[in-house]
Amino acid sequence: MNAVYWGLTALSIMGHGDALDRDEMVDFVMSCWDEEAGAFSAHPDHDAHLLSTLSAIQILLMQNALDRVDIDRVLKFILSLQKPSGVFAGDAFGETDTRFVYCAVNALSLLGKLHTLDVEKTITYIRHCRNFDGGFGHVAGAESHASQVFVCVAALAILDRLDEVDQPTLCWWLSERQRPNGGLNGRPEKLEDVCYSFWVLSALAILDKLAWIDSSKLEAFILSAQDTESGGIADRPGDMPDVFHTIFGLAGLSLLGYPGLVDLDPVYCMPASIIENLGLRKGWKALQRRTS
Amino acid sequence: MDLPAEEEQPLYSQRPEWADVVPLEQYESVAPLAPIFYTDEYRDATNYFRGIVKSGEMSPRVLELTENIIRQNPGHYSAWQYRYKTLMALKSPLDDELQLMDELAIKHLKTYQVWHHRRLLVQQTRNPGPELEFIANSLQVDTKNYHTWSYRQWILAYFNDDALWSHELDFMESMLESDVRNNSAWHHRFFVVFQSGVRSGDEDRDAVVRRELAFVKERIAIAPNNASAWNYLRGVLDHTKISYCELQAFVLPYSLPQPPLGTPPEVVDLESPLPSKNSQLPCVAAVEFMADIHEAAGGGDLVKATEVGYVLYELGKYLTYRSFGNPWQMSTILYARDTGNTGSRNP
Repeated sequence: MNAVYWGLTALSIMGHGDALDRDEMVDFVMSCWDEEAGAFSAHPDHDAHLLSTLSAIQILLMQNALDRVDIDRVLKFILSLQKPSGVFAGDAFGETDTRFVYCAVNALSLLGKLHTLDVEKTITYIRHCRNFDGGFGHVAGAESHASQVFVCVAALAILDRLDEVDQPTLCWWLSERQRPNGGLNGRPEKLEDVCYSFWVLSALAILDKLAWIDSSKLEAFILSAQDTESGGIADRPGDMPDVFHTIFGLAGLSLLGYPGLVDLDPVYCMPASIIENLGLRKGWKALQRRTS
Repeated sequence: MDLPAEEEQPLYSQRPEWADVVPLEQYESVAPLAPIFYTDEYRDATNYFRGIVKSGEMSPRVLELTENIIRQNPGHYSAWQYRYKTLMALKSPLDDELQLMDELAIKHLKTYQVWHHRRLLVQQTRNPGPELEFIANSLQVDTKNYHTWSYRQWILAYFNDDALWSHELDFMESMLESDVRNNSAWHHRFFVVFQSGVRSGDEDRDAVVRRELAFVKERIAIAPNNASAWNYLRGVLDHTKISYCELQAFVLPYSLPQPPLGTPPEVVDLESPLPSKNSQLPCVAAVEFMADIHEAAGGGDLVKATEVGYVLYELGKYLTYRSFGNPWQMSTILYARDTGNTGSRNP
C-alpha cells in the first residue's frame, strides 16, 4: 500500500498522476480493507495498520475516491491506537513510534476529523520526544533522527503548534545534515541518503529555513543518484533505484524549485493543490520554481 | 529473501503432516497492480499461513511455519503478531524464544518487528539482566543501530533498576573509546545522566555537571572535529542554564590555527584542556561556538560576525547561519562568500 502511494505521488509530482489505471488502483486499495479492524492493511489479508491506512486515504484522495471509505470505522481505528502517554501504536501489535503519531494526525486532518483528537495529549508526547540538540526521536528518550524530526515537525504544523519547536537549534541541526558532497544524512557522522532530501528538506521548508542548506549542491547530489539506464532514483549514486528513494528524491527536487515539477506540500507529502483545495495549507515555504 | 540454511526443506504442500490445512492463495479476488515475483518457498509458506490464520490454529507447527516466514521476510508483521499470540496460547518457554531472537536480531538488525517482538517477550519474562549484554554484543556488529540503542533505553527505563543503570557510564565510555564520534553513544549519555531521574550517588547535581563538562572537554581535546561532542557540550550548558560565555577560555584555542612549532607549551589548565597536537585547526565547531559566545555577550557586532563568516567560508564549509539572525548580516556574509570580498576587513 505504501509503495502504491509513493508511486502515485511520484507520478503526480512529474505531472503524470494518471499514468496508472485509476480503477485498478482504487480496487487494490479497497481489497486491503480489513473488515475486522475497520481500516486498511498493507496488502490483502494482512492486518490493518496506521501506515497503510494513511497511505490508503492519501491515494483515494488523489484519485478522487474517498467516498469509498467507511470514515466512521477508520476514525474509530485511528483513535483507538492512542496510548495514555499520547503516543500512537501502529496497530494491535503495539509498536509505538512518533511516525504513527504523524500518521494519525495526518489521516484525521485529511478526513476532516482533527477535532476528535486529544490535541494536548498528543503534543505533550511530542514534547517529550524533543532532545537536547533540538531534534526529535522515535519515542521519548530516543536519539534525534531526521525522519523523526520530519514527522514531529509536520504533526506540530498540522496542529498549529510549531511553537513547540526550538527553531534556532533544530534548524541549525538540520542544516548540519548536509555533507561535503551535497547529500544529506539523518544524524551526525552517518552517510548521506537521498531520502533525507525529503525528511530534512520538508522540515526546513515548514520552518521556512530552506536557505540554510546549499540547494544547488543538494540538487546535483539527488540527480547524480539517478539510474540513467533503467530510470528511478537510488539512495546514493551507483546504487539500485527503488520507488521509495524515487519519490523522496523527487519531493526534494520539487521543494528545491526544480523546473517542470508540480508543487508539493511538505507537511502532507502530497500535491500542494490538493491540500490547498481542502483548506489545509500551512505556512511552509519552498524555493521558487525555476523555468529552466 | 533468505532461504533456510540447512538442507532444502520440502514445501508445505508436499508435507503429509500439513495435508489437513487448506492453503489460501494471495490474489483470490483481485488482479495485482504490480505483482511481486515471490519464490516458490515464500508463496507456499504464506499460503499455508493464510490457511491456519483462517482456521485459527495455534500449535507448535504454527511456530515452525511462522519462523520459516520470518526468516524469509522479517518484515511480515502479521506473521510476527500471530507467532506471539501462538506463543502465549501455548505457554511456550520464552527463554528459548529469546535465544532464537538473539540469532534473528543480529541477522535483521534494522527490522522494527524483531525488536518489538523482543520487547513483548521481555515484558513477560521480566528478566532484563541478560538483555544488556545482548545489546552490547549486537552493538559490536552495528555500533550506531537506532533500534538497538532505543531498545537499551527502553530496558533501562521500563525496569528502572539501579543495578541495571549502574554500569551505563562505563558502557558509554567504552563505546566512545572505540569511536568518539558515535552520536548514539553521546545521546545515550545525555539520556542516562540528565533525562532519567536522579539515582543514588548522583544527588550532588553540581558535581555531576562538573564531571560531564570535564568529560566532554577531554573528548573534544582528543578529537576536536566531532559534531556530537560539541552538541553534547551545548546540550549540557543549555540544560543547566550555564552561559556559553563561561566556556570562552576553553573554546578559544580550538578556533585558531595550531600554534607554530617551537611555541612554548601553555601552562596546563585542567579546566581547559588544549587541542591534541595532531588536531586539524581551526575547528569549525569552535569557530561557530565563538560566534555564539559573541552573540550571547551582546551580539550585533557586525564586524566580528563578518570575520567569523569569512573564516567559515575559508574552511570550505557550508555556512550555518544560526548565530546570524539578522538578514543583513547574513547577506553581508553571502556577499563575502560569493565575491571573496570582505570589504575593508582583512581576512
